[in-house]
Amino acid sequence: MVISNPIYFIALPLLTAFLLPLIGKVYKPLIRLTPGFVFAFMAYISFDLFLNLEQGKAQIIQIAGWAPPLGINLVYDNFSGFITLIITTLAFIVWVYSYKFKKVGFDNSKKFFILMMLLVAGSIGVVLTGDIFNLFVFIEITAISSYGLTAFYKGRDGAEAAFKFLFIGALSSTLLLLGILILYTQTGTLNMAEIAIRLKDVPIATQAIILILFFVGFGIEAEMFPLNGWVPDAYSQAPGPVAASFAGMLAKAGIYGLVRIIYTIFDLNGIFGLLLIMGILTMIIAETAALKQKNIRRMLAYSSMGQMGLIMIAFALNTKAGIYAAIFLMFNHALIKTMLFLSAGFLTYSTKDKKISDLDGFGKIMPFTALIFGLGAFAIVGLPPFSGFWSKLSVLTAVADKTYYVILATILLISVVEIVYYFRIIGRLYFKKAHEEVKIHKPSWNAQVAMSVLAILIIVVGIYPDLITEYISNAADALFDKSAYIKEVLPNVSLN
Amino acid sequence: MQDYLTYSVYGSAILLMLIGLYAALVKKNLIKIVIGLSILDAGIHLLFVAVGYLNNATAPIFSETVLDKNVVMADPVPQALVLTAIVIGFGVTAVALALVVRLYRKHNTTNIDEIKNLKW
Repeated sequence: MVISNPIYFIALPLLTAFLLPLIGKVYKPLIRLTPGFVFAFMAYISFDLFLNLEQGKAQIIQIAGWAPPLGINLVYDNFSGFITLIITTLAFIVWVYSYKFKKVGFDNSKKFFILMMLLVAGSIGVVLTGDIFNLFVFIEITAISSYGLTAFYKGRDGAEAAFKFLFIGALSSTLLLLGILILYTQTGTLNMAEIAIRLKDVPIATQAIILILFFVGFGIEAEMFPLNGWVPDAYSQAPGPVAASFAGMLAKAGIYGLVRIIYTIFDLNGIFGLLLIMGILTMIIAETAALKQKNIRRMLAYSSMGQMGLIMIAFALNTKAGIYAAIFLMFNHALIKTMLFLSAGFLTYSTKDKKISDLDGFGKIMPFTALIFGLGAFAIVGLPPFSGFWSKLSVLTAVADKTYYVILATILLISVVEIVYYFRIIGRLYFKKAHEEVKIHKPSWNAQVAMSVLAILIIVVGIYPDLITEYISNAADALFDKSAYIKEVLPNVSLN
Repeated sequence: MQDYLTYSVYGSAILLMLIGLYAALVKKNLIKIVIGLSILDAGIHLLFVAVGYLNNATAPIFSETVLDKNVVMADPVPQALVLTAIVIGFGVTAVALALVVRLYRKHNTTNIDEIKNLKW
């Protein structure tokens, strides 16, 4: 269709976010409805664009009419298109879930949806942009809106979590800016494709310094080990749908930025070793920490970090099979972790501390929500016939292909830990007697629809993985083949 | 002489960054931490402008003098970037101060040692 243009992914939510207070002046319920229309439209055009995109091709959008080396451009290729598809679909599902967010008063839902739309615009911007400074701007848009979302509830310790997040985020974004500055002084350009060409003449030591600065900058949002102190606090203090979208959008945008820089711009082999070590450390520390959590939100946050560690390991393999596995994991993690956060939000709605021990016997009290949570737990530890099984299998085969048997054993061992802490909750849900006098909050119909859609997606992909494997392998090709990216962005430049 | 001037700008930019980093990492007062982050930002901004500077160059604005081939212009890109970066830094500082106000209302202190409801 003529109307489908990737620029809408960024322009529409940004515009609507700033118009939302005005729209609310016209007719109050529009505050809740407008974001839904926008997200639905974005999901529609992302499906339209993605299904019509040829393999190995990219759609380059010039902004303000300047051709790529000079102006800012958006690159919609198989990889960025796939991640955009995940983010837009999740944005719509999260809107369906939080449609009636904060029943009393439109003021809260106005703030919530404004920040939410900025978060979506920022994350998609990180994914689509082809300009390194623009990448920094979008990272900051995402970061600032997520500080606001973390501190959303006044009653909780949101401000404390948000300040922690802001402190580490501001430090790392300064380092990111320093990295961009050094990169600009060395190459004299900000276009990512042109940087990739010109970096060949830059000394390896300088390249390594720049790459480490980028590594720290993106490591925050990708939840990498030494930089992820904010994760459990932010996930447990933010509203439920926000935690879900952090796992589904923010973390995905962070890891996307990191691997785009590592694979497309730089050509340093040593970085893969560093990414591998960081991934393993992230996975081991996060999953063992998840084991001893009493708060269900914190447990899910640590589990999210562990999954991101696994994704980093798969990306660090530097083979096509590894990238394929990592993208498959990103897809699964986005869907399943969102589903877990959404269902956990209702399971612990009335309890103050969100303790795991408060969940005894909820399988009978809230059968639907408990079932959704159980499905999510089965899927994320990688049991067949859910989609999590295929991604875990592809990670294991990719690691085995590289003959990293110690890492293979570590992943399997950590999977056992994962099974222990997820199945402990399932045991409490179904095989324990309920406490007396439990207060429950029935999920509203829109929340039930949102959770069922995610559950159906997970089961369908689990039974017919062929539905998406072709797209994922195209996406892996797009990331792995750096010369194709450069050729698409700068068709007139010869590579040697 | 010009060289010393250039180096002194670079040096003070890096000094500013280190001062900001020190304040952000060592100080216990929330407001001082925010100020530290702000100084760190300012250092980076100064470095940006210094990178784009050229001796005896004019401002990068299109005018009659630019048509003369002997005229050198300063690099406009870092200046455009630094404007954006200043705006972003302003936004982050504003959000940070808003959070400090919230924290102060809740805990009646701005000392980070006394605000520890969330364990790491």
